[in-house]
Amino acid sequence: MLEGRMAVVKPEMKSYIWLQTADGSIQQVEEEVAMFCPMICREVLQTGAGSSKNCAISLPQRVNAAILGLILDYCRFHQVPGRSNKERKTFDEKFIRLDTKKLCELTSAADSLQLRPLVDLTSRALARMIEGKTPEEIRETFHLPDDLTEEEKLEPLRNMTDDPRIRLLNRLYARKRKELKEREKLKNVEVEEEQHVDERSVDDLLSFINGEDEDSKGVRTTKSKKKNRRRKEQARNSSTNNETGNHNQESSFPASSCLNDDVPSPSKPSDLQDPAFDEGDIDDELDPVMKEEIDREVEDFARRLNSVWPERMQEILSLGQERRPVPLSVNGNGSLKRYTAGLDGR
Amino acid sequence: MDTDSGRDLISDLPQSIIETILIKLPLLDAVRTSVLSRKWRYKWATITELVFNDTCLIPCQDKAIISCNLVNFITRCLFLHDGPIHKFELNTSYSPTSPDLDQWLLFLSRKDIKELIIDIGEDDWFRAPSCLFFCPKLTHLVLVRCELNPPPNFKGFLSLKHLSLQQVIIPPHDIEGLISSCPLLESLTLSYFDSLELTIRAPNLKYLNLEGEFKDIRLENTPHLIGISVAMYMTDDIAEHFEQSSGCNFDKFLGCVPRLERLIGHIYFTKYLSIGNEQGSFPVMYQNLKFIELYQVSFEDMKELLVVLRLIVSSPNLEELQISSSSITTTTDIYDLDFWEKDWPADCTFGKLKIVQMSDFSGLPHEIAFIKFLLGHSPVLEQMIVAPTIYVTDKVVKMLIDLLTFRRASPLATVKFVQEPL
Repeated sequence: MLEGRMAVVKPEMKSYIWLQTADGSIQQVEEEVAMFCPMICREVLQTGAGSSKNCAISLPQRVNAAILGLILDYCRFHQVPGRSNKERKTFDEKFIRLDTKKLCELTSAADSLQLRPLVDLTSRALARMIEGKTPEEIRETFHLPDDLTEEEKLEPLRNMTDDPRIRLLNRLYARKRKELKEREKLKNVEVEEEQHVDERSVDDLLSFINGEDEDSKGVRTTKSKKKNRRRKEQARNSSTNNETGNHNQESSFPASSCLNDDVPSPSKPSDLQDPAFDEGDIDDELDPVMKEEIDREVEDFARRLNSVWPERMQEILSLGQERRPVPLSVNGNGSLKRYTAGLDGR
Repeated sequence: MDTDSGRDLISDLPQSIIETILIKLPLLDAVRTSVLSRKWRYKWATITELVFNDTCLIPCQDKAIISCNLVNFITRCLFLHDGPIHKFELNTSYSPTSPDLDQWLLFLSRKDIKELIIDIGEDDWFRAPSCLFFCPKLTHLVLVRCELNPPPNFKGFLSLKHLSLQQVIIPPHDIEGLISSCPLLESLTLSYFDSLELTIRAPNLKYLNLEGEFKDIRLENTPHLIGISVAMYMTDDIAEHFEQSSGCNFDKFLGCVPRLERLIGHIYFTKYLSIGNEQGSFPVMYQNLKFIELYQVSFEDMKELLVVLRLIVSSPNLEELQISSSSITTTTDIYDLDFWEKDWPADCTFGKLKIVQMSDFSGLPHEIAFIKFLLGHSPVLEQMIVAPTIYVTDKVVKMLIDLLTFRRASPLATVKFVQEPL
C-alpha cells in the first residue's frame, strides 16, 4: 500500500512498518504495534528502516514467521494504553497456553527483540513447568537427553566395610568406564567446553539436598539390568545406609580400604560374576525369586536402621536401576579420585 | 543412550534466558536442574540471585539437623557458584551461627553483591562482620536482628538506595552517620529502635518508615521526601521527656518536607506531633499531600485535634483522609465545643477532599463536631464513611441521627455508617 513512500501518519491512513523474518517472508505491521518492540523501535528511529517493502527491517534469526505472529498479537493487545491490569493479566494467562516448543521459541524470539515483559511472562511459564517436577518429567517435557548417567553412574563406591562384593563392583564399574571411554573415542564426541572437572561436588550438593527426599533425586537410569548386580545392591544398601545415617557427621574414610581391590576376592558371587560381565548381559531380566529375596533383605535391613530406605529401594528395584551411593564429604572425593586413577591403570 | 525423539527444546536458549527462568524457581529446584542433562550441570551455578528461605529446608524431626543442613546447603551452593552474585537473601527462622554467616558475608563482599537481605531466627542476634561495610556495590540492604558496628574507617555505602534495619543494635551516634553517609539513599526503614534521638539528613530520601519508641526525630535535610509512615510507641519515660522538651515537634518533623504526598501516622504519632505545637500559624504548606492516614488520634486531647486540623488545613490538595480514634475515653465531660465556633477559622475549604473515613468512632463531642466541620467545608466530597468502635453500641442510633442532620457542602456526598468496624 505504501510502497515507495515514507510512512506518513495521516489521520485517515494507518502507517505500517515492514518486517522481514529470517526465512525471507516480508509482512507489514501497524506502526504502533511494531514499535512496542524495543528492537524494532530502535531500528526505525535510528536507521529509518521499515518504511517500505524494499527496506524492511530484518528481524533476528530466532524470530520465525509463526512466532512473529504470536509476538505481534501480544504487542497489539498490550500497546493499547487503556487496559486495566486485570485485563492484561487475563490476556497473559491465556496467551501462554502454548505447547512447550512454541513457548521456548517464543521466549527466544522475545529476547532477541528485547521485549522484556514477554520474556518475563514466558520465563515464568517455563519455570512453572520445571518447579516441583521430577527430573524425568522435566526431561520429558523439554526432550532433554539423559546423558549424565553414563559417566556419573559409574563412579566407584566407597568401600567402608571392606566388603569384597563392593570391591568387585567397583572393579566392574572401572571396566565399564573404560569401555565407555573407548566407545566415545570411536564416536568422536566433541570435547565439552566446560572446564569443570569435579562433577561430583554438584552431586554432593544434590544428594545432600535430596538426603531424605527420594522423589526429586534423579534416579540414575541405565539400561543394564544385570542379574548379578542385584546382589551388589544388597551390599550397597548396607554401605549407603551407613552413609545416610552418618550424613551429617564427619566420617573418615580409610582410603586404604579402597585400594584393596587388588586382592582377589574369595567370595562365591565374584567368581560367578566375572565371566558374565559383557555387553550381552545388559538386558537380562531379573530373576523374580532373587528379586523377592533381595527385597526382603533390603527391607529388613532398612527397618533395622530405621530409615526411609524401603521406599527408595522399591523405587530403584522396580525400575531395575542401579543407584549411585550417597557420597559424603569432599575428603571422600579426593581419595576416590586417587582410587580411580589406580584402577584405570589396570 | 538414546535421546527422546525431538530436539532438545530448551538447553540451547541463551544463558540469560535460562538464568531468568532459574531465578523464578525456588533455589532448591534450580539446583536440582543440574541432574537433567550434561548441559544443565552447571547452568544454575551462574545465576545472580540466591534466595535461601524455608523452601530450602528438608523436613526432618530434629531441628538441629535441619539447621545444620541449611548451613551446609548454603555453604556448598556458594562454593559451587560461579560469577557475580547480585542478590543474596536469607530468610529463615533458624539461626546460622556467627562463623558461618561471617564467612558467607565475606564471600559475598567479593562477589559484587548488590542486594543483601538477612532475616534469621531469634535465638542469637548475629554480629555483622566488618566486611559487610565494604561492599561497594550495595544498593539494597535489609538486616533484621543483628548488631551493627560500623568500623571507624567506614566511608558509607555510596550506592545504597534502600536501607531497612529492624531490631538492629547500633550505637546511636553511628546511625545518623550511617544514614548521612549514604548519599543516594531513597528509602529508609527503621523498626523497633528504642529511645532513639535521630536527625535525618538524606538529600535524596523519598520514603521514610519509622517504627519504635523515638524520643526525638528531626528531618533536617530531606527535601525530596514523598512518603512518610511512622508508628510511634511511647513509654512513660518518653512521655516525661516530652513534657520537658522544648521546640515544636511538628516543625522539627514536618518542617521541610514540601513534596510530601502520603503521610501515615500510627499509635502515638499525633501525640508526638502535638508537643510544642502552637495554634495559629501554618508556615509550611504541603501542596502535594494527597493522602493522610492517622491512627489512634485522641479526640479528647485538644492538642492532638489541633495537629490534625493543622495538617489538613495545610494541605490544600488533600484527597483522602482516614482517621481512627483512640479508644481510651476519660471521664471528663467538659468539652470546649465553643472552639469550633470561635477559635477555628471558618473560611477554610478542602477543595479536593473526596474521601473521608472515620474509624473507631465513639461519638465523642469533638468527633462529631469534626465530622460536621468536614462535611460543611468539603465541596467535592464524595464519601464519608463512619465506622463505630466495637466498644460503644448503645449510642449508635443517636450518632446516626446526628450525622445525617449535618449540612453538607458537597451535593455528591454520601454518608455511610458502617456497622462492622473497618
